[in-house]
Amino acid sequence: MSTKSLTAPEKNAAAPIGVSPHGIPDWRLEQIPFHIESEWVNGEFGYKIVGETDTPVPPLRPSKYLDKEKSIEIYRLMLVNRRMEESLERMYKQSKVIGGLYLSLGQEACSVASAFALGKDDWLGPMIRNQGSMIVKGFQPRDTMMQYMGKAGSPTRGRESGSHYGDHRVHNVIAPISHLGDSISVLAGCCLGARLQGRNIAALGYIGDGGQSTGPTYEGFNFAAVKKLGVILLVEHNQWAYSTPVEMQFACKDLADRALGYGVPGVILDGTDANQVYDATYEAVQRAYAGEGASFIEAKLMRMKGHAMHDPANYVPAAVKEYWKRRDPILRYENYLKAQGWINDDELKAISDGVNTWMDAERDFAEASPMPDPADAATDVYKEDGPIALKYGPVVVHEANQRAQLKESSAPGHYK
Amino acid sequence: MAVVTYLEAIRQGLWEEMERDPAVFVMGEDVGVYGGAFKVTEGFINRFGPERVVDTPISEMAIASAAYGASLTGMRPVGEFQFMDFITSAHSQIVQILAKSNWRWGAPAPMVLRGPTGGGVSGGPFHSQNNEMAYVHTPGLKVICPATARDAKGLIKSAVRDNNPVLFFEHKYLYRRIKEELPEEEYTIPIGKARVHRQGKHVSVITYAATVYVAQEAAELLAKEGIEVEILDLRTLLPLDRDAIRETVEKTNRVIVLHEDTKTGGIAGEIAAIINEEAFDFLDAPIVRVTSLDSAVPFSPPLEKAFMPQVEDVVRAARRLVAY
Repeated sequence: MSTKSLTAPEKNAAAPIGVSPHGIPDWRLEQIPFHIESEWVNGEFGYKIVGETDTPVPPLRPSKYLDKEKSIEIYRLMLVNRRMEESLERMYKQSKVIGGLYLSLGQEACSVASAFALGKDDWLGPMIRNQGSMIVKGFQPRDTMMQYMGKAGSPTRGRESGSHYGDHRVHNVIAPISHLGDSISVLAGCCLGARLQGRNIAALGYIGDGGQSTGPTYEGFNFAAVKKLGVILLVEHNQWAYSTPVEMQFACKDLADRALGYGVPGVILDGTDANQVYDATYEAVQRAYAGEGASFIEAKLMRMKGHAMHDPANYVPAAVKEYWKRRDPILRYENYLKAQGWINDDELKAISDGVNTWMDAERDFAEASPMPDPADAATDVYKEDGPIALKYGPVVVHEANQRAQLKESSAPGHYK
Repeated sequence: MAVVTYLEAIRQGLWEEMERDPAVFVMGEDVGVYGGAFKVTEGFINRFGPERVVDTPISEMAIASAAYGASLTGMRPVGEFQFMDFITSAHSQIVQILAKSNWRWGAPAPMVLRGPTGGGVSGGPFHSQNNEMAYVHTPGLKVICPATARDAKGLIKSAVRDNNPVLFFEHKYLYRRIKEELPEEEYTIPIGKARVHRQGKHVSVITYAATVYVAQEAAELLAKEGIEVEILDLRTLLPLDRDAIRETVEKTNRVIVLHEDTKTGGIAGEIAAIINEEAFDFLDAPIVRVTSLDSAVPFSPPLEKAFMPQVEDVVRAARRLVAY
């Protein structure tokens, strides 16, 4: 990797751009050659493109860590992610989905390849669009489908919608909340709890380019950084915070520069490239296991749909959508697998057919689930008494003085 | 048997729970070597080590939600806020994440958030508030406001053992003013049970925390006039002990609800509603609220005194009810 600061990179060179102006490694193969500015046109305020959008798509660079089998599995899981959402989109149009539907078209590599780098005991803190990550962590498409339909069989028994579910027993997924950034310190706490039980684990959390503007993002990640907890903050920089372009969300060029302020390693990568996403997350996970603490990843990509199904995203200039459509993460990965000689068209079709058959069965299962019993609306507000097991084993404390006694405290001199 | 302050009682309770269960640990600002702003965890770091006495950055939200994250792994964290006024900086985490966790996705949060609350010490508007009602209004939490040293110790132990997020409001005015002998043997006090602080038959004062002692002074004055005041110390605001409220109404038929919290939206309104629903037929007079004024807590002593409910306010209300 070059350590030279390249302010004017050679366009489309098949090598990492190098480092950001502030010294953050940038593993992309190209920089986004345009940005958005606002303008008035005939009395209407809107957005225009400044720069080029028709630059060619570079072929993916091989992963440092993924072999053929794992690469094909990542491809399959990205396809599961997309087909599940296509199925949900149809169900939405059939009025089977209750409330909003949040899709991650164009973000599948970021969800799937990052979660794929986690171990079984590691935690995931998804956001609304990381439905693919949750499948990697062990949930089934039917779970997300039933959530969106408010079914009794959904993981939250109809109490919550969409990807707002989790599991603290087996899958280690925190149920997201709508408040942006609030899960980051929860992940830090999971790592803290594990460390007290003698384990250095990793906990992968996502935040958007918009969500990272919140105070809880800073407070949570600073907590993880200073306590050397294995939180991996993956900023999914998908260009638009609902309808607000990133140019109106933050003043810095690369969000990964904030890693310097947190005092943790940061990296910039292309979020439509599953290899880059996996490699960076894998390295961050290994850091966590070694007790070296938190890591910061900025993945640049594009939200190809609106904020939710009700939003056609007309505010996004058409040429921007076209630029990113050519960088479809699944298409890019398919081309990569073929170029590696790891897969042929027949094998690709077999994977696709398998996913389709499975998804139909998942949809049928979800649709057949009954609606919840009204008597279940306000049960389980409290957990009953009883032991709660330690997840990782007995508490391990290295430093303590068994002979120290409780003495009367010294009086503070204030607020007497 | 040693006489123990309210503050030392809490220290004893936490210490004993940490000795009993290695899953219990404390975290907060300055809780380690310094021992906490009010010295509640002084000396704890030597006995339990920096791993179980965790100094944190200044972030109440991170204290609350990192404690929650640790509780998801089976730990029983006790987070300290230097002043309960700062609980508002963790409001989103407490209300959105902790309180809904078991209901939403079946993930219990066995944890405690504790700290000093209340006024009477010229703490001003950011070191004197009684913020408990924001959380009493939040299903999924438990809210404890002890008045005595015995209760403070027994309830902090119960809070640590509870499988739900418990908010433990320690009244800072009582920290070193209240002293009593505690049982030698180990004990806990159940969450959700009120306590009759003083038996009486003419008027009930339903209250909690520091105003228990305001009621007590008033009761002593009123006793000289032949008015026997019963004082019910709620101890826990969520869940409320509805049986105890009903029983005292049935006994005295006249009720003052007294609290240091401000009037509008205070627990007094909720208690009046419960009495309406469950014991209306036993009332011989309207329910009276004696509370702080609907303003922020002032700093200067004459202003703070005017703001907070006083003994004479209770005496006046009791006389009025008896004469009704």
